Amino acid sequence: MHTLINIIKEHIEYRHQILKLAKADIVKTYRGAALGWSWAIIKPAVTIFVYWFAFEIGLRAGKDVNGFPFFLWLISGLIPWFYMNDMLTQGTDAVRKYSYLVTKMKFPVSTIPTFVSISKLMVHVILLVIMGVIFTAMGYPPTIYWIQLPFYLLLNFIFFTVFTLCSSLLSAISKDFSNLVKSMITAIFWLSGIVWNIDTIKIGWLKKILMVNPVTYLVEGYRNCFIHQTWFFEQPKRLLYFVVIVVCMLIFSIWIYRKLRKEIPDVLN
Amino acid sequence: MKNNETVIKFSHVTKTYKLFKNDKKRLLSVFFKNMKCKKKKAVNDVTFEVKRGEAVAIFGKNGAGKSTILKIITGVCFPTEGELEINGRVSALLELTSGFDPEFTGRENIYLKGQLMGIKDKEIRELEQSIIDFAELEEYIDQPVRTYSSGMKARLGFSISVNIRPEIFIVDEALSVGDEEFKNKCIKKVNEIISDEDVTLLFVTHATVVAKEFCTRGLLMKEGKLIFDGDIDTAIEKYEKTYKK
Repeated sequence: MHTLINIIKEHIEYRHQILKLAKADIVKTYRGAALGWSWAIIKPAVTIFVYWFAFEIGLRAGKDVNGFPFFLWLISGLIPWFYMNDMLTQGTDAVRKYSYLVTKMKFPVSTIPTFVSISKLMVHVILLVIMGVIFTAMGYPPTIYWIQLPFYLLLNFIFFTVFTLCSSLLSAISKDFSNLVKSMITAIFWLSGIVWNIDTIKIGWLKKILMVNPVTYLVEGYRNCFIHQTWFFEQPKRLLYFVVIVVCMLIFSIWIYRKLRKEIPDVLN
Repeated sequence: MKNNETVIKFSHVTKTYKLFKNDKKRLLSVFFKNMKCKKKKAVNDVTFEVKRGEAVAIFGKNGAGKSTILKIITGVCFPTEGELEINGRVSALLELTSGFDPEFTGRENIYLKGQLMGIKDKEIRELEQSIIDFAELEEYIDQPVRTYSSGMKARLGFSISVNIRPEIFIVDEALSVGDEEFKNKCIKKVNEIISDEDVTLLFVTHATVVAKEFCTRGLLMKEGKLIFDGDIDTAIEKYEKTYKK
């Protein structure tokens, strides 16, 4: 508890620096390339095209969902996944990447995952706006359900910021952990119903297990806004599971942080 | 002037490094208590006080624990046991060539560093020109730091640290970089800073001649222990004696 209060205090005290570093992190990701900022769009666009091509043209599995074309269903899941993917890879490496903040100056380590997360979130928001435009352009204008988008955005942000707090510290201690997370990414992607519809599963208990997966919950949440037209309070049980998982992870992250905070500067260079 | 105020206080500070066979063992030790590791005391039960305005040199062979002490003062690393108290803005020159974001230009790094130290943009803007002038980087200031030579990085690092008006100024072997001319300029600048009565200087070096120029007090470290604390001349004498053995 004491550690949590400390972390919050550090965040408040360093709020200006966190925003500056988040901005710097975005700038750094896209600068130094000839096409610069457009990479933020091109990379996801290529990925979306590949999956769309594979499912719709290749596997002929691209059925309409709830009256929406498969393409729209696909992007409403892939775009939140891009943020998740960034957090799983770059978020996990955050403390290593910003080791100079740890070993060369006095700086609160707990805020490193936060500003990296904010930076990725900004890119995510831009992509969401573009997605909104695509929906509208294809004849599916905004609905009242879109207003719960900030709610799911917040859940997504909290979940992955808490996750990277422990994963970035553990990966700073040992590269093994970073490799472990990266090797899990493909598994998480394919098991979480991002590119296939989890509703098509006929086995009840299996579906339930998959639904407890927080990544599935978040992706389905985005689709609640865009596709399913469902309110978050219509699925209280799922929300409860999600909150329980977040709280458990928070406790775990804080425990890790307390154990490692003083050791991290000794092992990084 | 509050000249008798203590700005740095170490009481029985010990820093133990845990040495594991490999990183895997280190990772496992987070979850399991009984992982074996060797323990090395880099700083062993050190107690001393520094008052505002003092200029203190720390001597010792490589691995004597000098840099660890400076890191503890900077707030970068934490003591395993003991207590410490620090009052004032610490500006540290720990390994000058690092601590920059290589993707950013020199100018952006000036702002970034300043912001991270909690200095307002307006104040940085006022200091910007003097930092650039002092570092003698000229048109390179708008190039990414990754293109800098180590000498250029060191000059920029030194220039930032001396120009942000520190209260506690820490120099770790910094003056050994750069050519003779720049070195003299640095020495002059450090002298200028510490002529202000409120600035405390901590100086780690092997160059006893330079230390003598600034410092009035010397600490001598050996294998993590503080073995002498007193006036600079005696400290240098003792230090040179241990070296010859």
